[in-house]
Amino acid sequence: MVECLAGKKVLTKGNYAIANAAVIAGCDCYFGYPITPQSEIGEFMSGKMQELKKAYVSAESELAAINMALGACATGKKAMTSSSSCAVSLMQEALSYATSDELPIVLVSVMRCGPGLGNIFPSQGDYNQSTIGGGDGDYKVIVLSPSNVQEAVDLTYKAFYLAQKYRNPVILLADGLLGQMMEPVEFSEYPYPEIDNSSWALSGAKGRAARIIRSYSPTEDFQCEHIRHLFKKYRIIQENEVMFEELYTEDADIVVFSFGSLSRNVKATVKNLRAEGLKVGFFRPITLFPFPDKRISEIADRVDKFLTIEVNMGQMVRDIKLAVNGKIPVEFFGKPVGSWPSVEDIEVAIKGAMS
Amino acid sequence: MEKNFVIAGFGGQGVLLAGEVLANAFMLDNKNVTWYPSYGAEMRGGTVNCEVVMSDDEVSSVNKKEADYVIVLNQASFDKFECKVKKGGYLIVNTSLAEQKENRADIHYIYAPISKMAVDLGNVKMANMLALGILLKVGGFLSVDILEKALDVVLPVHRKNLLPLNKNAMEIGYKYDLLVAGC
Repeated sequence: MVECLAGKKVLTKGNYAIANAAVIAGCDCYFGYPITPQSEIGEFMSGKMQELKKAYVSAESELAAINMALGACATGKKAMTSSSSCAVSLMQEALSYATSDELPIVLVSVMRCGPGLGNIFPSQGDYNQSTIGGGDGDYKVIVLSPSNVQEAVDLTYKAFYLAQKYRNPVILLADGLLGQMMEPVEFSEYPYPEIDNSSWALSGAKGRAARIIRSYSPTEDFQCEHIRHLFKKYRIIQENEVMFEELYTEDADIVVFSFGSLSRNVKATVKNLRAEGLKVGFFRPITLFPFPDKRISEIADRVDKFLTIEVNMGQMVRDIKLAVNGKIPVEFFGKPVGSWPSVEDIEVAIKGAMS
Repeated sequence: MEKNFVIAGFGGQGVLLAGEVLANAFMLDNKNVTWYPSYGAEMRGGTVNCEVVMSDDEVSSVNKKEADYVIVLNQASFDKFECKVKKGGYLIVNTSLAEQKENRADIHYIYAPISKMAVDLGNVKMANMLALGILLKVGGFLSVDILEKALDVVLPVHRKNLLPLNKNAMEIGYKYDLLVAGC
């Protein structure tokens, strides 16, 4: 397996690609507990991190893994964990703490299907789990949603950068299909500047006053101020970090939305329908938080209808409806789990929504 | 142009590896390509298949309902995938482990005793590379040379000693006198 091979394409499995990209991004510590369909990430790290004399811990549980990562982040190290669906459920408490403690943890979440133990089939059922979350309190996690293996690499770099830049957890939300498939990718150098964390990291108090990172607030005012500070940061993230892909929306009658690896199928279908002369547009949020509401609202001003396609029972569609705010109808087409809807199925759904 | 390939058999026949070699060959040929596996929890003996999609444009979907080319290395795979060959597509059948029977009139059946040919070559594990050689002859979309280069990319260092035997298997498959039935 490669580390950094700028200018050369290699056929790589999504999970290995993400792990390799994390190494290139300077990940110092990996903590994990195996679960299909993301186990190759831990497998790769178990060899590579030792080879590079960095930290790899096969934790006793997912709870332990993410809390170890929080501890490592507190010392200023770049730390990550990875898991899937039912096991990411176990990490919700730690994500809430990480936002409050402003710890830049990277969590790679490779969706399988739930609820409960579910099964290993791919699904997009953890949109809500990632963007809303199950931890307590008012908090936001940055969520990046890659649609192919190359983008999974590029967004892994970005995940480490944004986590450090904003001192906030970042979830890279992949899925079983993306984790298990192979595609040619190029591993560039880490394209972002290193962030100085010397003002807050718990690096040992020699020669300076001791620091404490804690989420406990002694007073009501203190907690109020802390949450206001967090939301000021989220607003800056919302203003500066929105990413999306948009195609043929200029003259579209209908715009079709999707996220993640399903977008490949949806985009191909939209291209086919354009070739037939139908005025169909395509829109894919790449950042699920910050969500591209502003752009979606602008498009809603000149389009008749939106259609959202997901492999779940309708999760992102809520965010789209919020962005549209009742201006135009927003329809949904989806299935709970399993193989992604085919180009043929999607074509029928789009034509149905147009009729 | 987009074409997709399914290679199916039982665990241990090198189905996933064959797909990986094919996908690497398309990458070396500057095509867009995806590889997607499907298998059970078993390491050996269970059914396994992978799908490779090659495209001049972005790959439209990695897992399709039907395939242009299907290789079946055993009977269970024949039973499962005969109906998933696209109309006018090709089904390459390992007659050493699957019966020679045409249930459809709208696809091409290519028969070869692939496992027996591999045994004759000295190693039954060469069945996957023999099948790739046959696929190339049927499809004509890549040179054997590129396929061999792809194999070199995929084989780990400690397996490079098997390169000549695998290349030989590909070439024998490519030169095999095809027995074609169906449309």
